[in-house]
Amino acid sequence: MQIAVLYGTETGNAEMLAEDIADHLSDHVVTVTNLADFAPSEFDPRTLYLIVTSTYGDGELPASAQPFGAAMAAGAPDLTGIQFAVFGLGDSEYPETFNFGGKRLEEMMVAAGATLLGERVTHDASGDDMADDLAYPWAEAVVALAEPALA
Amino acid sequence: MPSVAIFGAGPSGCYVAQALAKARPDADITIFDALPVPYGLVRYGVAADHQGTKGVIRQFERLFERQGIGFQGHVTLGRDVTLDAVRAAYDAVVLATGLSRDRRLGIPGEDLVGVHGSGAVTRAWNGFPGAEAPRMGRRVVVIGNGNVAIDLVRLLAKGASELHGSDILIEPGAGVQDITIVGRSPAEVAKFDPVMLKELARLEGCAITVSDLTGEGKVIEALDSLHGHAPAGSTKRLCFRFGLVPDRILGTERVEGVAFADGTVIAADTVLTAIGFDGEPGWSASDDGLLAPGLYAAGWVRRGPRGTIPENRTDAQAIAARIAADLPEGPGKPGLVMPGATDYAGWQRIDAAERAAAPEGRVRAKITDHARMLTLARQTGER
Ligand SMILES: Cc1cc2nc3c(=O)[nH]c(=O)nc-3n(C[C@H](O)[C@H](O)[C@H](O)COP(=O)(O)OP(=O)(O)OC[C@H]3O[C@@H](n4cnc5c(N)ncnc54)[C@H](O)[C@@H]3O)c2cc1C
Ligand SMILES: Cc1cc2nc3c(=O)[nH]c(=O)nc-3n(C[C@H](O)[C@H](O)[C@H](O)COP(=O)(O)O)c2cc1C
Repeated sequence: MQIAVLYGTETGNAEMLAEDIADHLSDHVVTVTNLADFAPSEFDPRTLYLIVTSTYGDGELPASAQPFGAAMAAGAPDLTGIQFAVFGLGDSEYPETFNFGGKRLEEMMVAAGATLLGERVTHDASGDDMADDLAYPWAEAVVALAEPALA
Repeated sequence: MPSVAIFGAGPSGCYVAQALAKARPDADITIFDALPVPYGLVRYGVAADHQGTKGVIRQFERLFERQGIGFQGHVTLGRDVTLDAVRAAYDAVVLATGLSRDRRLGIPGEDLVGVHGSGAVTRAWNGFPGAEAPRMGRRVVVIGNGNVAIDLVRLLAKGASELHGSDILIEPGAGVQDITIVGRSPAEVAKFDPVMLKELARLEGCAITVSDLTGEGKVIEALDSLHGHAPAGSTKRLCFRFGLVPDRILGTERVEGVAFADGTVIAADTVLTAIGFDGEPGWSASDDGLLAPGLYAAGWVRRGPRGTIPENRTDAQAIAARIAADLPEGPGKPGLVMPGATDYAGWQRIDAAERAAAPEGRVRAKITDHARMLTLARQTGER
């Protein structure tokens, strides 16, 4: 399967996780791209998109995902037929906006017609879980869900 | 293999190593630090109750645990080894030693007993080796309008139960009743991150008032919504004041208060200054961090002591790109093994001992005795 891991980050946690996920899925053809270098017009229906993003400010997207978020808000192309899933990184020290970055991207994608596979999973920087331990089962499950359409 | 020495294992040094290891997997990279423990201000600056922010350490651990980057601790550049000797032994040398001396107010009374700089205080609260936490009086004035000032205020305002999940062993605000945070400028231009202000709305035992509020913007909105925060049974009070230019710190031996240019006087038993950091790097670097052929600077020591961890990451990545382009191919200079240096396994022993000693509700108990750190770092497993 062709898989693209897209990440949004400020301090690099999401980037490291994106690379780990790609390594973990090495049976597939996987690319890892910073959302800063990705435009909504590049989505391709033959690819599964795994979006990994943190949250900043008051529940905003991290800096590297902001141009993408702005482009989506300014009028995303029709993403019907695009399959994606979201893994969010956040911190429960910010309870009111916990993992809003991932939530925002999910909402934008769905509003543009893309299909969400599985449920958005969240990591808590103040919790005990390692992000990898949550992300690998999530990624495997999402790949299994995409199998019928994209394998 | 071309060799690279990075001095300073704070975020800047670690991010340079991370980006450089990616761009030049052929490079042999070693990070040196003055302490036997890495991570700089992530460990000793970032507040003890912001463990999530300290989570970047997971990325840095990987440098040493999987990416083959060396760590030599307890090596101070300029004391244990000269820059010339390092440059002779490495193809590239990166200075990422930070700049965190407290900037002084420059007004009379600053040296009275009971006046402390934010760097000294936050180091002590973060368990920096040998740093003793100053005793706080009942009335504390915090001078400064940045995020470090908010860190101070928040930790002073928290009760013991609110420090759950942190790695601070003392209760910084024990005995504190009145906290006043003052800025010389109007509220509108305060350098607070609005998110840091909003966090104060979760204080459980501290009532908040905000005076002198003028203008508009996100900071004003955040301050405005803090005003009147009054949890039942509050034992502490926090007051924000703006537009007060400190003129003199009052007192004969101990601090008794702060006098401001407009004649306002605020009584205080303790005064904390949080007006930034300074220090002289002793050199100047070009925009891409180059000081001389093969010599680079990154992070606070290059740009001045301002900016957050993400800004240092961006800076470090740019400098790493420059180094990657400059670094020769093929065999390089031999590097240095400093006698008496501690290694990463030594830090792992300190880390394990700190975690094992964590009391209920704390994630670690930092070792604050430098000699004990060294002993642990040098233990070799068998006894
Ligand atoms: C109190 C405080 C709270 C902060 N809170 C936050 C926050 O919540 N979020 C955020 O994003 N940013 C925060 N910051 C800012 C952040 O800490 C800095 O941006 C960052 O640490 C600067 O990184 P650096 O690597 O340049 O310097 P440092 O982190 O200072 O690292 C320098 C390293 O060099 C070592 N060193 C110094 N001299 C020598 C020498 N001669 N030889 C060998 N080694 C040496 C030191 O031991 C240290 O490990 C805070 C800063 C402070 C002071
Ligand atoms: C200033 C600041 C604001 C943050 N705001 C939020 C937030 O509103 N919600 C949240 O869930 N996490 C928030 N976080 C936590 C980060 O999303 C979390 O630390 C994440 O692991 C960072 O990943 P990154 O390194 O990929 O940027 C914030 C962190 C910082 C430093």
